[in-house]
Amino acid sequence: MTQFSDERGSELRDLFFETAQELLQSLNEDALKLERNPKDREIIRSIRRTVHTLKGDSAAVGFHELSELAHTLEDALAVEKASADVSLAEIGFTAADTFGAMLVAYRQQTALPDSSAVRNLVQQLASSAASSDAGTKSPDTPAHIVWTEYERLAAQEARTQGKRVFHVVAHIDPLCAMPIAARQLVANAVSSIAQIVASRPEAGAAVQGTSIDLLLATSHSEAAIIAKCQIPTVIGKATCSEMVFESASESPEESEQTEQSIAEAKTEGDQDGSRDRRTLASQTLLRVDAERIDNVLNLVGELIIGKSMMQQAIHEYARRSPKDPLRARFGDAMSFQARVLNDLQRSVMKIRMVPVEQLFRRFPRMVRDTAQRCNKQVNLQVTGQDTDLDKSLLDAIAEPLTHIVRNAVSHGIESAAEREAAGKPAAGTITLDAYHQANQLIVEVSDDGRGVDVEKVKAKGIRNGVVGHDEAARMTDSEILDLIFRPGFSTADEITEISGRGVGLDVVRSVLHRLKGTVELETHAGLGTKFRLKLPLTLAIIKALLFRVEERLYAIPLNTVAEIARAKESDLHHVDTWEVLQLRGQVLPLMRLGQKPAEDEVGSHAKLFVLVINFASRKLGLIVDALEGEEELVIKALDDQTIATDLVSGASILGDGRVVLIVNLPAVVDRFTSALTTTAPSGLFLADGERAAAAGAGVRQ
Amino acid sequence: MEQFAPVKRSKDGQAVQYLIVDDSVFARKNLGRIIESFGGQIAGEAGDGLTAISEYDRLKPDIVLMDITMPQMEGIEAAEKIVQKNPEARVVMVSSVGYQENIVAALQRGARHFVQKPVKPEVLYEVIKYVLGEDGAVASAAGAGA
Repeated sequence: MTQFSDERGSELRDLFFETAQELLQSLNEDALKLERNPKDREIIRSIRRTVHTLKGDSAAVGFHELSELAHTLEDALAVEKASADVSLAEIGFTAADTFGAMLVAYRQQTALPDSSAVRNLVQQLASSAASSDAGTKSPDTPAHIVWTEYERLAAQEARTQGKRVFHVVAHIDPLCAMPIAARQLVANAVSSIAQIVASRPEAGAAVQGTSIDLLLATSHSEAAIIAKCQIPTVIGKATCSEMVFESASESPEESEQTEQSIAEAKTEGDQDGSRDRRTLASQTLLRVDAERIDNVLNLVGELIIGKSMMQQAIHEYARRSPKDPLRARFGDAMSFQARVLNDLQRSVMKIRMVPVEQLFRRFPRMVRDTAQRCNKQVNLQVTGQDTDLDKSLLDAIAEPLTHIVRNAVSHGIESAAEREAAGKPAAGTITLDAYHQANQLIVEVSDDGRGVDVEKVKAKGIRNGVVGHDEAARMTDSEILDLIFRPGFSTADEITEISGRGVGLDVVRSVLHRLKGTVELETHAGLGTKFRLKLPLTLAIIKALLFRVEERLYAIPLNTVAEIARAKESDLHHVDTWEVLQLRGQVLPLMRLGQKPAEDEVGSHAKLFVLVINFASRKLGLIVDALEGEEELVIKALDDQTIATDLVSGASILGDGRVVLIVNLPAVVDRFTSALTTTAPSGLFLADGERAAAAGAGVRQ
Repeated sequence: MEQFAPVKRSKDGQAVQYLIVDDSVFARKNLGRIIESFGGQIAGEAGDGLTAISEYDRLKPDIVLMDITMPQMEGIEAAEKIVQKNPEARVVMVSSVGYQENIVAALQRGARHFVQKPVKPEVLYEVIKYVLGEDGAVASAAGAGA
C-alpha cells in the first residue's frame, strides 16, 4: 500500500509544480514592475511574500535546496534598509530563472542547476545593506521607510489635531523566534497610548523580519512610548523619533551605493541569457478565462455557418452558369477557406483540452480508501492519462466515473479469500484507460473481478418489472446486461446479491447521454468487467447527417450512423410492438420517427430510408422520409424555455438559414424502449414535433 | 530546577494563581514545575478550551497559560471567550513556532503575551513579570519553595 502514499506524494508535487509556476510568474511580473518603479516598497514586499510562499511550499514537498535558496533570498529582502533600485529587480529576475531551472530539474529528476548567480547577488545586497547600516546608523534617523502618501496624510491629519507623530523602530529580540507575533504584541502594547498610523512590515504580514517600524500619533511622550515598546523576551531595543514632514529627498548616497555594488555583481552574471529565458518563460504559460476561449469558439462556429452559406451560394452559382471560368476560382478559394477554418477550429478546441490525468489523479486515493473500507486488496493501474479532453466534459464525467470506479472496487473485485479460491492473485486490479478513437474519447474502467452474472441480471430485471418475461427470453446477453442501466433496475440492499452492479448506473448513463456519449459494459464471468465510456471530444461542433421526417429537418451525429439502408414499407415486419427489418439476415429493430402511414398504404411500395444506428453496443434502425446530406453543425444550446421536449438536444442553423433540430438519440431510444411495454410507439415526433418547431423559431431569432 | 525570586501579588502578597491549559498532561506538569519555581500556585488545570473557560470563571486566576491546539475548543477561541467576558484576564499563549499565525490571531483577540514551546523558565519568568505589571511584585527574599 506504500504505492498509494507515493501517488499521493506525486499528486502533491504536481500541485506544487503548478502553483510554483504561478509564483514564478508573479515574481517575474513584480520584478518587471520594480524595474519600472524602483522605489516602490509595496512591490518589494510582494516579492518577499512570493518568495516566502515558495519557500514554505517547496519545503513541504521536500525540495530542500529550493526552499533553502528561497529562504536566503527572503532574508536578504527582509532587510528593510535595502534600497529599492533596479538591481533588486535584477535579483528578482535572476531568482525567478534559477527557481524555474530548479523546478525543471526536480521535475525531470536531473541535477540541480547552479544557483550561485542568485547567491552572489544576495550577498552583494546583504553587504551593501550592512555597510549602509553601519555607516549612517543613528537612532534619530531611522528614515529608510517610505511611507505612502495616504499614510503621510493621515499623520499630518493627526498632527493638526494636536497630536505628535513619532516614528518608532522596535528591534525584535534575536532570541524571539516569532517575529510576526512579536510585532503584533508591540502593536497591542502601543495602541493603548497611541494610534498606529502605519506599520512596516504591515500588520499581520507574514514577513519574518527583525524589526518593526511604526508611525504613531499620540498625545503621550516619547519616553512613554519607548516604555510601552519595552517588552521582555520580545523586543530588544526601541528607538523613537518625531516624524519630520518634508520632501523625500533623503540620503540619496545610500541608494546610489547599493546600486553601484549591485551593478558590479550584475556584470558578472550572464545577464543577457537570463533575460531571454525570462521572456521565454513568461510566454509559454498563459492563464486565460475559459469564457474568452468559448467566445472564440463561438465565433469560429459562426464562421462555419458562414462557410456553408458561401458554399451554398457557390453551388447555386455553379448550377446557373456552369461555363463561367470564375466558378473554378470560387471553388479553389472555397476549399482553401474550408481548410483554414478546419485548422482554426481544431486549434481553438485544443486550447480547451486538458489531459485526462487531471481527472485520473484523484482515483488512486479513492480506490485506496474504498478498498480499505471493503477490506479488499486492490491495485490501480492508470494508462492513457495524457489523452486530451474538453475541460467541461472532463468535469462532467468526473462524477459518473467516480461512481463506476467505486463500484468496481466494492462490488467487482472479490475478497482476497474468494480470489485465491478461484486461483487469482489476492489483490485485484482495476485499470483506468483513456484513448482517442475517431472523434471520440474512450475511457475504460476494467476490473479483474468476478464479472456480472447474466442470468441473475435477467431474473432480477423480470422481478423488478424492468423487462417482460417473454421479452427477456428473446434478449441477447448484451441486451440483458444493458438492463442494469435502466432506472429502477436495482436497489441498494440487493446489489451485492447480483455481483453488485447497478446502483445508480442509470444515473451514469443519463449523464453520459446528456454529454452525447454512451456507456456500455462488457463482462466475462469470473474474469472481470469493463465499463466503456464514449464521449465526443467537444460539444460545440459536430459532423451530422441531415434527414427529413414529415417535411421537418433533423440531424443526428454522423459517427452514430453505421450505414444507410433503403426499404419499402412492405419489407417491414412486426415483432411484438416493434417494427423490424431484416437486413442481411439480421433482425433490426426499427424506430419510426414520423407518423405511420394509413392502413391502406401499408404494403405499398413507398420507399423509405433506414438509418442504422450504433447505439450502446446494439444496432437500431431509424425510419426517415428523406436524406438531406452531411453537414458540419455548430450546436446552439436550447434553453428550457425554447424547447419542451428532451427528444431534441439542440439546434443549428444551416448555410441557407434553415434551422435544423438535433435529435437526442439516447432520449429517443429510451422513449421507444420504455413505450415498448405499453403501446406501439410510432409517430413519436408528432406530438413533440409541434413544440420542436416552435423551438426552431426561437433559434432563428 | 533553577530558582527565581518569587513573584507575588502586590495587592495581598499572596502567591500568583495560575490556570494551566494544555491537552498534554506532560506539558501541564512541566509548566506547573516552572511556575512553582517562580513562587506561583496552580489554581487549576484544563485539558481543553471549554474546560478552560469554566475553570476560569470558577477560579478567577491571575494568569492563564494557554496552549493553542487542543480538542473541543482551540486555544484562540478559548482565550477570546475568556477575555470577552473578563477584560482583565491575563492570557499568555504557549505554543511552538509553527503556530505563529495562531498566536498573532490570539493576540489580536486579547491575549496578553506569548511564550514559545519548549518553554524556557527564564523567558516565562520575564513574561509573567511583564504581564502582571504593577499587580505583581518580586519578593526580595527567596522564600517560597524549597
